[in-house]
Amino acid sequence: MWATFRHELAHMRGQILGWGISLGLLGAYFTSVFNSFQAQMEQLKQVMGYFPPELFEFFGIDLSTLTPFRMLDIKFFSLMPIILGIFAMLACSNLLAGDEETGLLDLVLAHPVSRRSLFFGKFLAFVVAFVAILLIMWAAISLFMDRAVLQVTPIQMLWPMVSLFATVLIFGALALLLSMVLPSRRMAWSVSLFVAIASFFVDGMAEIEPSLQRVSELLPYAYYQGAQAAFGLNVGWVVGLVVPAVVFVLLAWWRFERRDIRVAGEGGWRLPLPARLRPARRRPAEARPVA
Amino acid sequence: MAEQPAIAIHGLTKSYGKVRALRGIDLEVQRGEIFGFLGPNGAGKTTTIRCALDLIRPDGGSIRVLGIDPQANPVAVKARTGYLPGELQLDDNLTGEAQLHFLNELRGRKADWKYVRELAERLDLDLKRPIRNLSKGNKIKVGVIQALMHRPELLMLDEPTFGLDPLMQQEVLRLLVEAKRNGATVFFSSHILSEVQAVAERVGIIRRGKIVEVAGVQTLINRSMRRVRIQFRHDVDPTALTQVPGVSLLKRDNGRAVTLQVEGEMDALLKAVAAYPVVDFETERPSLEEIFLAYYEDERNSHKTEE
Repeated sequence: MWATFRHELAHMRGQILGWGISLGLLGAYFTSVFNSFQAQMEQLKQVMGYFPPELFEFFGIDLSTLTPFRMLDIKFFSLMPIILGIFAMLACSNLLAGDEETGLLDLVLAHPVSRRSLFFGKFLAFVVAFVAILLIMWAAISLFMDRAVLQVTPIQMLWPMVSLFATVLIFGALALLLSMVLPSRRMAWSVSLFVAIASFFVDGMAEIEPSLQRVSELLPYAYYQGAQAAFGLNVGWVVGLVVPAVVFVLLAWWRFERRDIRVAGEGGWRLPLPARLRPARRRPAEARPVA
Repeated sequence: MAEQPAIAIHGLTKSYGKVRALRGIDLEVQRGEIFGFLGPNGAGKTTTIRCALDLIRPDGGSIRVLGIDPQANPVAVKARTGYLPGELQLDDNLTGEAQLHFLNELRGRKADWKYVRELAERLDLDLKRPIRNLSKGNKIKVGVIQALMHRPELLMLDEPTFGLDPLMQQEVLRLLVEAKRNGATVFFSSHILSEVQAVAERVGIIRRGKIVEVAGVQTLINRSMRRVRIQFRHDVDPTALTQVPGVSLLKRDNGRAVTLQVEGEMDALLKAVAAYPVVDFETERPSLEEIFLAYYEDERNSHKTEE
């Protein structure tokens, strides 16, 4: 397992640096901007008052209690599950199905490595890479934040990262499961991205339309605290997100243990289409020229 | 207790949806032999090999590799096997050496690195070059090295020389013969029948998911029909020759030369020919390639009949 883990983590070095530094810089930028907002907060609220109230309801904003820290939450943390979710969904759908589609998995699995150790070695590497990205983001935000303005400590800023980890983990785990079930990696990541975006919008719309509340409660985004976790992490919500993620990962492993490894290329649904809609069949195989 | 075969496959079936890839394969490969696995594209060669390595799961039948059930204990089978996939894919971001180091890590560092360097030298491969810069042939060389580097008991190679230049093809074949000499069993599929004929002791021919022939290469060639070309001193009516059991006329060039096809022993034909003044008598065995193509022709004909 450790050989696979080290190899996969080494593979993810570029992603850790790319995503970590980019999002760290973005976090640092927003933090610096909102550090200076304290003085202009009242003017800002007045300007924002001209916008439709539904817009603020969508993001759960109460103008009367708006602070620079809340602005950081809205502008940066609220979008992070989608942005980091893209990384997680791409990485997880690629963990095994990517190698399978290129044909590399065939070679690796022909070595004395069990499917279990390959699966968990790769997944553990993803988790470590993801945590590393979160730590880079946290370090950048902590370095640039003005504690007096934002009224939080760097230690407190760790809790939003935990909430973000749990939320994004579930999207990654879903992509991993789908990559083991659906015929292609692309399909797996597209479906999981749809779920992530739908979750974001349903959660926002539920603030405006209460009838959507029940649907929203079934989706992961409803249990994401964002930066508000700095003032008290909801451990129940974190566990509520991590447990289904673990279930998805275990189901993906169960499926991986039992399925055929494709030679290379994407699979198909083999839908029972009418003859005229079926793709043209290849002619029966013929021998290659012999030497 | 007698030593179990290196590979023992009985009644192996595998379908992909409605496509029946394997229709009851029965095959035994003895320890220490070089076994060539022949068949046209899509006949089921790769599917059989991948079932034996637990990369895909058969629908029915049984497989034992080195006496072990690969589904029950795949790691034990793979620890003692070297495999070269037909569709070899390597990690483009690594150098040849780094790729081999990673695969060696998966093997618990069982490879003899001195042997790896020796193999690279013999195959004229620069291990320091990134894989993305290697030609297809050089990538196959990396694949051959990874299959051999831990000196496995069993080599399963899916078209090991496909994409190599003729010199390197010969070198790879020499490596297989050396592996056999050191006690390994070699099971390989190939389309290059001359090379199978050169190194394999036995061959199995697979056709549409069924084994249609397993025999020694020489037995197969000896058993098959011969072509005989006879040049007479003067015109001869070939009817007297074609009346000999097992003899048929293939070609009559002129009154003095005939080409016959002979099935079975030559004795009766020689006695019939002895009655005429003979200038030249040539006999020719078909190559493995011709035998294989004859099987393949049979398949095409049966396919047409089914249609």
